[in-house]
Amino acid sequence: MNKLLPVLLIILAAALIAAATIHSSSLVPATTPEGAVRALLNQVKARDAVGAYQYVATASNTAPDDFKRDVFGQESNLRTYSSLQLFDTKVLREDDQEASVRANLEWASAVGAVRDTRDLKVVREDNSWKVIWPVQSRPKVPPQVIPVNYLRWDIVTRGLDDDWGAQNVDAPRVRIISMNPVEKDGDFILLGEIENEDTVPGFVSVAATLIGKDGQVIAQEESFDKISHVLLPKEISPFRIDFPNVSRDRIKSVHMQPNAMLVPASADPVMGVMHQALNKDARGHSVLKGELMNQSGQTVNIPHVLATFYDSAGKVIWVSDGYVDQSLAPMTPVAFSIGVRDDLASQIHSYRVTVNQYTRDRVQ
Amino acid sequence: MRKVGTPLMSKPRLTAPSRSIPLFVILLVTLAVHGPLLLMQLPSNSYDANTHMFFAGHYANHWFSPWNEKWFGGMSQTTYPPLVHQWIALFSHVFGLTGGYMFVQLIVILLLPVGMYRYALLWVPEREASYAALGTAFLGSLAMLVYQSGQLPTTAAAALTLNALPFFYSWTRDGSMLSLLKGVVISMAGAAAHHVTFLFGAVLFALPVLWLSLLDREESEQKSSSGAMLVRAVMFGIVVVASVVVVLLPYFVSLRQNPITQLPIPHGSRDNYILSPHSGMNFWIIPMGSLILAIPYILFKGSAERRLRPLLFGWYVTTLLGLGGTTPIGRLLLGRAYEVLTYERFTFWATLMALPFVGLLAARVIDRWARRGAVLLGVAAAFSCAMAVSWVVFNPINTGTLNLKPMIDFLNREEHSKYRYITLGFSNQFAKLSTYAKAGSLDGDYNSARLLPEMTTYGAAQLYNSKYFGTAGMEALRAVLKHADQYGLRYIFVHDRYYEPLLAFAGWRPTEVYDNGATELWTKDDVPPAKHIDFGNAVPPPWQGVMWGLVPIGASLLAILVVLLPDRRRYSETLEFPLPETNELPLREAN
Repeated sequence: MNKLLPVLLIILAAALIAAATIHSSSLVPATTPEGAVRALLNQVKARDAVGAYQYVATASNTAPDDFKRDVFGQESNLRTYSSLQLFDTKVLREDDQEASVRANLEWASAVGAVRDTRDLKVVREDNSWKVIWPVQSRPKVPPQVIPVNYLRWDIVTRGLDDDWGAQNVDAPRVRIISMNPVEKDGDFILLGEIENEDTVPGFVSVAATLIGKDGQVIAQEESFDKISHVLLPKEISPFRIDFPNVSRDRIKSVHMQPNAMLVPASADPVMGVMHQALNKDARGHSVLKGELMNQSGQTVNIPHVLATFYDSAGKVIWVSDGYVDQSLAPMTPVAFSIGVRDDLASQIHSYRVTVNQYTRDRVQ
Repeated sequence: MRKVGTPLMSKPRLTAPSRSIPLFVILLVTLAVHGPLLLMQLPSNSYDANTHMFFAGHYANHWFSPWNEKWFGGMSQTTYPPLVHQWIALFSHVFGLTGGYMFVQLIVILLLPVGMYRYALLWVPEREASYAALGTAFLGSLAMLVYQSGQLPTTAAAALTLNALPFFYSWTRDGSMLSLLKGVVISMAGAAAHHVTFLFGAVLFALPVLWLSLLDREESEQKSSSGAMLVRAVMFGIVVVASVVVVLLPYFVSLRQNPITQLPIPHGSRDNYILSPHSGMNFWIIPMGSLILAIPYILFKGSAERRLRPLLFGWYVTTLLGLGGTTPIGRLLLGRAYEVLTYERFTFWATLMALPFVGLLAARVIDRWARRGAVLLGVAAAFSCAMAVSWVVFNPINTGTLNLKPMIDFLNREEHSKYRYITLGFSNQFAKLSTYAKAGSLDGDYNSARLLPEMTTYGAAQLYNSKYFGTAGMEALRAVLKHADQYGLRYIFVHDRYYEPLLAFAGWRPTEVYDNGATELWTKDDVPPAKHIDFGNAVPPPWQGVMWGLVPIGASLLAILVVLLPDRRRYSETLEFPLPETNELPLREAN
């Protein structure tokens, strides 16, 4: 007992440690198409670009640096602020040499959770499965001078002693020009548009309070990031306010509260929206696709696309948004795609796309 | 030719002590080791010290009002046992808040060797017990808890638990009512210092002691039946639990009304230390220090001696738990609680349990190698402590200290305290800022006190660290920002540009900079002043405030009083006969 006990305790501890520690090495060659995708994504999750690249097929024609930039980001784009949090995979099609695997990805990013679906082609190479990971090479823009002659509004304050929040000027005149309450999946949603009717720029937001049939406040929410906060004179922005788990039956009235404040602003950077069209994605869902073009001389790090959808009567029937994970280099088109409600796709008569932006070295 | 008067013995060697080290010497050594470090206020940059000072700061100003509006839009301080905070609050009127914290920590550190000496005497002879007590001063795990984690309540509760255990032993063996009284009152104070230590630590420490008392029964002349001893142990447990329920009644009421339902929050001590070597260093190698070398001795000595076997098993289980995710044992034994607890404290308890063995080993080393052995032990002990302190210095938890004064001044200026604020990227400096700012925050540094649904819905801890909790963290932050108007959240101090995109898209604007742009103030101008948030029955009623202000501190004062009561005097002592043999016979030359 005296000698046996310590040996038993050591063996038990070693077994327990082994049970929690020993896993199959994640860098072994993949024996199944799904295994290859999972191995690659596991390495991406662990932020190991070299490990992940081992599962990229040579047929991809993707250089390691391009792959790293695509997965982990560059130029302070959204991907540089993101890390892969969760994923699940599903084999769509498979034969001896080739397969197609769908990966649903959830990225933790600086703007919240970003979900993405990729249909990946997987091929057999050197007796193991590898993933085709094409990276769209960015066109090289020739050196050029871009004159900046956009309008800019500055504000002169009385002096340093002024408290920053105290403005002794009238707020810009803004007006909600349309509003449409809808109900979807148990949520109550307010859609609409707000216009800056003034001749100065305004920093706007829209808040809404739902009043119940008993006269009590049911919920208060605001447009948050589903609006363009900086509105230049005469500019219009869509807005959307979501009230999760609120039934329309409970609501007696809605109190809308548009807020505006005079701020310095610039029309720069100007971003063009091109080739926009309603389409279906790989899963058969409706999406609005298009391209963004930064017509200024500075890189926009994170673009945010807001789309307003109208019916044939010109009424706003839906507002959707999406963050683009690529930065907008000057004069370089970047594709975007944002979801549209499938049940509304047939009613959409027209749409309008506006673009918000975050530029790291110039925050408005 | 030998000179007259030269002893017969060979030249006497300078020997290391072969008797026990007096307790006051141990306390002086402990004071010498930790006094200067506390005087340098080294713990003030630890993870939790600012949190404890925040709690203490509230008690210093509102002793009988446990409702604190400075965190989470409102939180009850009854969600955390108050004893340590209240002592800091009392001393803060003399030394200031930080000085009060350091002073209370020093008292706790000095209580540890006293408790260890008494605890170790249960297992080993006096001399070895004194070595074990001396060892507490040099424990790497203690240094990590004090200087890196800032877990003052954990160390306080551990010290009190150690001091209570001998009375538990004495009560179960002899049925002495005075021991019961002392044991129960010290346990009450321990639970009032830290509930988790009481719940988990006391069991891990107490079960081996109970086993020991049963073993000792067989060898003693005065035999109580084992059934009677078990009944006494159960009685002790019932009385302690009942007393603790009374002492911490507002805590249990709060827990019942608002059970902790939040999702698990990641912590490095739950990592697999082999797969995450940095966590392994931080939570095991450095805290264990030179004690790692003693593990084979602990295993073999604990197995060889029947009387030490309970301690061996207690140490073994506690050590395995301290390994966090390196073994599945924690998950198996603790279930859901595994994801709520952190495991550095288990390693601390394991090192405390190891010390009686180390006392035995030290005595053996000194007996065998005398002065060289003592020097070797001293070097090993100093290495453990020095490594832990230097690890904290060379691996600081903060990449730089923030100059908080301008931000505190801003929040206390004009009517800015009418609004709420949060910080992003501030790490534990947030607690310090909130201690001195008049304005309230929606964030906070104590997860179990959170009541806002925006925060409890997600598996994320502090908002200021949102990005480290992945999707859960950023979604929690988004949820709070979405309701900025409702909560009067107008100011966000940003010390990490990672958060800028979200703020920019959500309608916040940078308005001021501090520290040459290292920190920016972002504001949302249309936010109305903060209103009182209705948390319903989460606000403790006045009677709880009075109870919270009197009973826990009263328990600690009572503990001090009863410990001063003399133990039952023994009118007859059994002397060992014949006299024990000593290693060296006193030889004298005949004149």
